[in-house]
Amino acid sequence: MGRRRNGPPRGGRPTKSKPCVFCKEKVAYVDYKDYNMLRRFISDRGKVRARRVTGLCPQHQREAASAIKRAREMALLPYVVGR
Amino acid sequence: MAREADTRPEEANIDTYEAMLIVIPELDEEQVENTVGRFRTIIERTGGEAGEPNHWGRRKLAYEIDHRTDGFYVVMEFTAGERTLVELKRILRVSDDVLRHMVVKLPPSYAHKPLPETTEVTA
Repeated sequence: MGRRRNGPPRGGRPTKSKPCVFCKEKVAYVDYKDYNMLRRFISDRGKVRARRVTGLCPQHQREAASAIKRAREMALLPYVVGR
Repeated sequence: MAREADTRPEEANIDTYEAMLIVIPELDEEQVENTVGRFRTIIERTGGEAGEPNHWGRRKLAYEIDHRTDGFYVVMEFTAGERTLVELKRILRVSDDVLRHMVVKLPPSYAHKPLPETTEVTA
């Protein structure tokens, strides 16, 4: 429901909104070929990290997720690590 | 056809596509070049324009495909004629020396970005 962006913290750590890294670097296209960059957005199990972890904006989170899926299809990134 | 031109204000802007292929590791560099050359011919024969292929070299796959652990990666940009995509995809699908392929449309704003460093793995 209420997304706390800069609002007062409700227990836990105070919220600090960091700008999305792609927005900051003005990335127009999240390239699936740049798999080493995409590694930052997957867990050590190979799963796509949640937005609250990656700190990406909705648009770039979506684009990063699709890029990861494309990279997986081309065996640049694993579907699953340590099976 | 006329309708398509209406929906696209800049008709002169031809879409650029990018194909990535994983060629089986059993071939040698020269055979890979030949294979890629075949696809370039297909693109050009069907009215497209094929760019210079970018050979990433032999790389380890993130997971096994058809009991193979590595393959030659080739990335190529091209523009498509009317039949190019259909024909290219059809041939790619039936080619035994291509493990995987992917064709994506590049956004018009996307300029040639530096590609990730080619990490050559010889298994």
